[in-house]
Amino acid sequence: MAVCPECEAEIELKEAIKGEIVQCPDCGVELEVVSVNPVELAPAPEEEEDWGE
Amino acid sequence: MDDAAFLGELLSLYSPSGSEQQVANLLCERLADLGFRSYVDAAGNPVGEIGSGEREIVLLGHIDTVEGFIAVRREGDLLYGRGAVDAKGPMAAFILAAARARPRNLRLTVIGAVEEEAASSRGARQAMQRPRPEFAIVGEPSGWAGITLGYKGRLWIHYSLVRPMRHSAGPGRSAPEDAVAFWNALQAAATEFNQGKRPFDALDLSLRRINSRADGFAERVEQLIALRVPVDFEVASFKSLVGELAGEAVCQFSNEDPAFRANKNNPLVRAFTAAIRAAGGEPRFKLKTGTSDMNVLGPVWDCPIVAYGPGDSSLDHTPNEHVSLAEFRRAVDVLAAVLESL
Repeated sequence: MAVCPECEAEIELKEAIKGEIVQCPDCGVELEVVSVNPVELAPAPEEEEDWGE
Repeated sequence: MDDAAFLGELLSLYSPSGSEQQVANLLCERLADLGFRSYVDAAGNPVGEIGSGEREIVLLGHIDTVEGFIAVRREGDLLYGRGAVDAKGPMAAFILAAARARPRNLRLTVIGAVEEEAASSRGARQAMQRPRPEFAIVGEPSGWAGITLGYKGRLWIHYSLVRPMRHSAGPGRSAPEDAVAFWNALQAAATEFNQGKRPFDALDLSLRRINSRADGFAERVEQLIALRVPVDFEVASFKSLVGELAGEAVCQFSNEDPAFRANKNNPLVRAFTAAIRAAGGEPRFKLKTGTSDMNVLGPVWDCPIVAYGPGDSSLDHTPNEHVSLAEFRRAVDVLAAVLESL
């Protein structure tokens, strides 16, 4: 069981992969699996808008 | 091979879209020097392959630039030249990283696509006929700690109105007035569509040309409008709206490429985030309002795909185009780490 660092909701993850991005079912924020044993979550890298190409 | 000298050599060969042969031949030579099997394909793309096995990663950059040669010069850490950012810098980084990584049981295919800056995307359309790779990386400037996941699509409208001449003192609007009214109506429709949307999800209009003339019998007006369209934009219904707004004018469409947004939950993205952190950076995902060869390749290959490369894309297409060599080398390190880990 992991905890959302934003809303502290408990999140159950089966076979988490380091670097995997999941969404908190409670607050909807995107989270990155930063550790798998134990499973720890951190806010995922943000999406920026940019122009070019 | 000295990395700065290699990039400088690429920048010194002016290669606007349609004039890439010289730089393609040079890249074939340099790829062979670095141990790649190299050739130029049917579209004129230089291709280098290294490693063996059924698994394949394609690294596709582009070797054409926009017009306007910039004399190659170095000022401290900065290397100036047309294409330093868009996108010979990323292309050179791909080659150096693939040569360094030399992964086992994996083929790395480096492609220098032609005509990315032209609407034809000729190089990418040739490359998309290749078998689907396991992973694909498109060479465009994301900054060394950035990972580009998506690009907006595009659509061009060619508006044409021809009408018999009438006296300017009479009732009714002139053909140029109707053309302006069409543009204003299109802008109003876009403003309504864009309510509450972020730029990546918005519809952008750009009036690129408007010309009118009269020969005493007829008055004519033509305009070219370029659109940047978001993911899942309903093109068919938009074309119907354009037809309604155009009235008696004729509208034709060209350069239609849908927007593309890649998935970020796959081993390729994870390899990039890990490699950027290992190099001391904080990874960032980017969504771009322009288009690239990812729009062509992403939907066809349907594999994990990102765009990556050194450089600040705000310098794309500017007379001040340059790249930091320190950033260029960091991007090579990140790419080599990604290729070794996959």
